[in-house]
Amino acid sequence: MTNIETKKELNNEFKDLKFILTSGMRTKLLLAIYERSKNLEELRTELKKPSATILHGLKDLEIKNLVKKVRKYYELTSNGYLLTTNMIKLIENWHAITKNEYFWNNHNLEDINEFELKNMYLLKDTEFIKATTSDFAMVFNKYIQLISNATELHMLLPIYSENHLKHIIDLLDSKKLEYVEIIASQTILKSIEQNEYFRENLIESKKVNMISTEKNLRIFLTYSKEFMALTLFFEDGHYDDSQMLIGKDKNALKWAQIIYSKYI
Amino acid sequence: MNRKNENRNNIKFLTKSEIRLKILEILSKEPTTIPKLVKETKITYSSVSSNLIKLEDRQFVKRVDNNYHLKPITKMYLKSLMEFRNSINMIKDYNDFWDKHDLNQIDIESIKNINALKDSTLIETTPTDIYKTHNTIKKYMANSKSLKAILPYLHPEYPKLVENILKNGGYVELILPKSIFNETMSKINKNVKRTAIKEKRLKIYSSKNDLKIYLIIFDKTMSLGLFKNDNSFDQNRILISQHESSHKWAEELYEYMKMRRYND
Repeated sequence: MTNIETKKELNNEFKDLKFILTSGMRTKLLLAIYERSKNLEELRTELKKPSATILHGLKDLEIKNLVKKVRKYYELTSNGYLLTTNMIKLIENWHAITKNEYFWNNHNLEDINEFELKNMYLLKDTEFIKATTSDFAMVFNKYIQLISNATELHMLLPIYSENHLKHIIDLLDSKKLEYVEIIASQTILKSIEQNEYFRENLIESKKVNMISTEKNLRIFLTYSKEFMALTLFFEDGHYDDSQMLIGKDKNALKWAQIIYSKYI
Repeated sequence: MNRKNENRNNIKFLTKSEIRLKILEILSKEPTTIPKLVKETKITYSSVSSNLIKLEDRQFVKRVDNNYHLKPITKMYLKSLMEFRNSINMIKDYNDFWDKHDLNQIDIESIKNINALKDSTLIETTPTDIYKTHNTIKKYMANSKSLKAILPYLHPEYPKLVENILKNGGYVELILPKSIFNETMSKINKNVKRTAIKEKRLKIYSSKNDLKIYLIIFDKTMSLGLFKNDNSFDQNRILISQHESSHKWAEELYEYMKMRRYND
């Protein structure tokens, strides 16, 4: 048997988390009255549980000052509102992670930092795409399609890929793309510089800003005003060009900007 | 629906046992063997190993030789859980500040990110120092070069404080309710005001509706005050912080309130 002191300590450490998350009744009640207050009758219909069960759950939450009763209606206290909003964030985080489980589980995530990991809910509306045996270049083609409408691009570029760079130069030539900012390691920048065509059209271009980072990047992230695209490396160190996460909403863009801003 | 249930079950499964949470927390730092886990947690060998088997069965951890590793996705789940635990602590640690206060005007994103305020100090008035909150603010304001503020009520000393910052060549941006707009403006020296507006060092936005938060950002400091549920401003408590994350939190809330003026 684990000794009582250890058990007590552990119990204390995770007490509040357990109180909320292990009771389906308590979490459902908090969510049920999140938008507006409700009376017992409404809660009973909504949750399909007997009054006694519901009242018991409400009592627990009242004791913790998360819920209060005002003229037969149950509503969240300010603490209850704070807690429930953050519980919704947890659920949304969880959902965004599970939705792309395959993508996250098979890649190196070391360049996704603490803050972004805690705010995965920002990616809840992203779309995951994966190359198939019949359409091997699907991810690359989709990427080119995304950047072709952009007026400005920000990139964390961990690879030296002539294909990608040539497309960017074409877009710059077509005048639609007005500004490109690329953050890359010194090794990658050196490779770009050694190619005469890239040196003239990228490094020496007024529309392009190259920033070098000490870090060996393990994330390929691009964002414009309209989209963000993310590809990663396998855990064995190889770049994976067969899977990509695409986001087009405000939250996904925010997530991308947060990662990017850490390298400037 | 299945996904939803699966998520709920996973959350429940992980949080139900403090022992599992503790094991995961340790594994999130580095892969470890059972004997080391036993030594560090003081949990019995049989309990550690039986929980690891359950975690492995559900694919939260994997074993490589004798070391247990967290799957990348488990790291993400765990971060979200711990973030939620920190939110609960944030609510509890500053209970007097949040409890029975009006949070309606704070945007959801800011609420989801309250952990950014975790290094704040709660300043409360005392019977022997009933102006402690105000004097603290005044002290900071007197020495600052820039000020952005949401002022829901007119404090007689504020116009002078604003005037001083402007006189010293500083920058001031205010959001005021329409009801106190004229009076506040009339109390700032005309010439100082005119010069500052011309030099784009003074911007004032008026809000049609009443404001229910008090937010001050000067140089590297931020301070937040709330209204009580009875509609009166709580002059006895403010949060104050010089931490970067709080500052950023305040800037985002300020920008949100600025945008919101148009939509009300």
